[in-house]
Amino acid sequence: MGRRIGLLLGAAALLVLAVAASLAIGARPIPLGDVLSALFHPDGSETAVIVHDLRIPRTVVGLAVGPALAVAGLVMQALTRNPLAEPRILGISAGASTGVVLAIAVFGIGTLAGWIWFALLGALAAGAIVFTLGLRLGTGASSPITLALTGAAVDACLGAVIYTLLSTSTRTFDQFRFWAVGSLSGRGLDLVVQAAPILLLGLVSAIAAARGLDGLALGDEVAVGLGHRIALVRTSAAIAAVTLTGAAVALAGPIAFVGLAVPHAARALSARLKTGTSHALLLPLSALMGGVLVLVADTVGRVIAPPGEVPAGVLTALVGAPLLIALTRRNRLVAA
Amino acid sequence: MRRLRYAGWLAVAAVVLAGAMALSVSVGEADLPWSLALDLRLPRTALAAVSGALFGVGGALIQSVTRNALASPDVIGVTQGAGLAAVIAVTAGLPYAFVAPTALAGGLLAAAVAFLLGARSGFTANRFVLGGVAIAFALRAGIEVTLTTADAIDAQRAQIWLLGSVNGLGWAEATPLAITLVVALPLLAMAAWALRTSALDDDTARGLGARPVGVRAGVGALGVVMAALATATVGAVDFVALVAPQTAQRIARTERPPIALAAVIGAALVVVADLVARRVLAPTQLPVGVVTAAIGGPFLIFLLLRARRA
Repeated sequence: MGRRIGLLLGAAALLVLAVAASLAIGARPIPLGDVLSALFHPDGSETAVIVHDLRIPRTVVGLAVGPALAVAGLVMQALTRNPLAEPRILGISAGASTGVVLAIAVFGIGTLAGWIWFALLGALAAGAIVFTLGLRLGTGASSPITLALTGAAVDACLGAVIYTLLSTSTRTFDQFRFWAVGSLSGRGLDLVVQAAPILLLGLVSAIAAARGLDGLALGDEVAVGLGHRIALVRTSAAIAAVTLTGAAVALAGPIAFVGLAVPHAARALSARLKTGTSHALLLPLSALMGGVLVLVADTVGRVIAPPGEVPAGVLTALVGAPLLIALTRRNRLVAA
Repeated sequence: MRRLRYAGWLAVAAVVLAGAMALSVSVGEADLPWSLALDLRLPRTALAAVSGALFGVGGALIQSVTRNALASPDVIGVTQGAGLAAVIAVTAGLPYAFVAPTALAGGLLAAAVAFLLGARSGFTANRFVLGGVAIAFALRAGIEVTLTTADAIDAQRAQIWLLGSVNGLGWAEATPLAITLVVALPLLAMAAWALRTSALDDDTARGLGARPVGVRAGVGALGVVMAALATATVGAVDFVALVAPQTAQRIARTERPPIALAAVIGAALVVVADLVARRVLAPTQLPVGVVTAAIGGPFLIFLLLRARRA
């Protein structure tokens, strides 16, 4: 028990460091002491304005998005018993994107705040399709491939829809492509407030499903034997996966591979420290590590290519893609 | 009897293709006199047909070798490799003549990596597909990165290429593809024969003097080259290399995708998709790959559901 708490405290300490870095590092570096004084004494100085208007909002967005994506990935992997499950790979991010493009192209909505509901509806629709298909396709020798391909198929169809909608206007295309790569910049705190209830619903559903997911990992029959109500667990987990993805994508765009990389890293870390694989531990651990990954990616992106900025989604993709390849090379994955 | 049925289907598909091409030439934004329509619309229609044929053949060969319908160039990363290379070429401002060769190299490289991932500790089709899917996703991420860093006009041009388009292309692009197809015919005949022998188990085939592993590698490489060449020329026209061979195999009821029928169906598919793409939102002309993705996505799901039942 003590080890687990130690592990979580360690991850939390990392997150605090990441937050500090996110507040202090940027195009214009600000010493941490000045950040702190500006934080508590917003005196209208340039430093205070940068901290309050730019860095605090994007740090808060990162704190909302990273954990949401990581928990969504964790829940999806347990729900589908599939190590490749991830918002992006399952096509749920594409659903959210389709919703946003619909909002831009058909309803002429140009603000992130207006896009949230469309993103959520899109994620919901795509999630319903993929999970329904996923259940019919079931599990079996080829299940990682089947699931990845189902996602690819849904992704392709939605891509066709998105492009058709975008094809009529360069301006819409330009607006969309920056959103589509995933970034924390330019999002206000009001947006986080708007997304908060959705994120909360997702988080509560994930927590409610956590123990059941431990049971599901042992197989349906064992789970029933242990007294879990499988249908309830699955529904709760699916709600968590879809709402967390939808809200995160609406906030920051489809940031890639966080949902894939973080749960695997959390599991590996927990295995190394012999603290087990219960979701009661993996869930908060993934949430903390997801926050760290997204904040670090965003902070690194600010300084890596001055004077410009590399969006967080680009850096997470660069980390996640080799990881995906490494995962597919493991023997157990093909046999899973 | 079986050959007769196959020949029958081949004839039917050829008639459909001819009809689609005639329709594609005669239908457009303006009512043109037939001779002018031929001049203007035949080159593009011909390019659609040849590239479709190459996609069909390439897909059929790869599917035969791996004995897996899902190992198509779109799924295993060939298309995305060509796409990333092309997007980099376009956004770096390389002359248009360099884009296709760069894309070809990218596609071949992606196939080689997928193959190497699959080859480790014993080659299996599943591992090949899974490695390819991973590469495809990784390359897609790379494409998006490149698109966001480019300026808007370049990015949109690259995006159109990515989706596959025959807009504004014609004889100059169609001719090399047609030559490839003709030159490859004897090779294809040999491949068909070799695949028939290698359908026997490896030991029996070896006993008959065939070299099954070499045959599979050679035929697979030929398939990858053909699909990558078509992708390099017209862009990532999605799913044709998956759908055409599978449709051919189903209607001819053969054990492997029949090569010639796959070619004709692929050609007809791209011609029809292009026709739909330029009429559905007219005057806006959609890239043809948007239509094939819209058809191909559901078809892939249908295949997965069928495979599950079997």
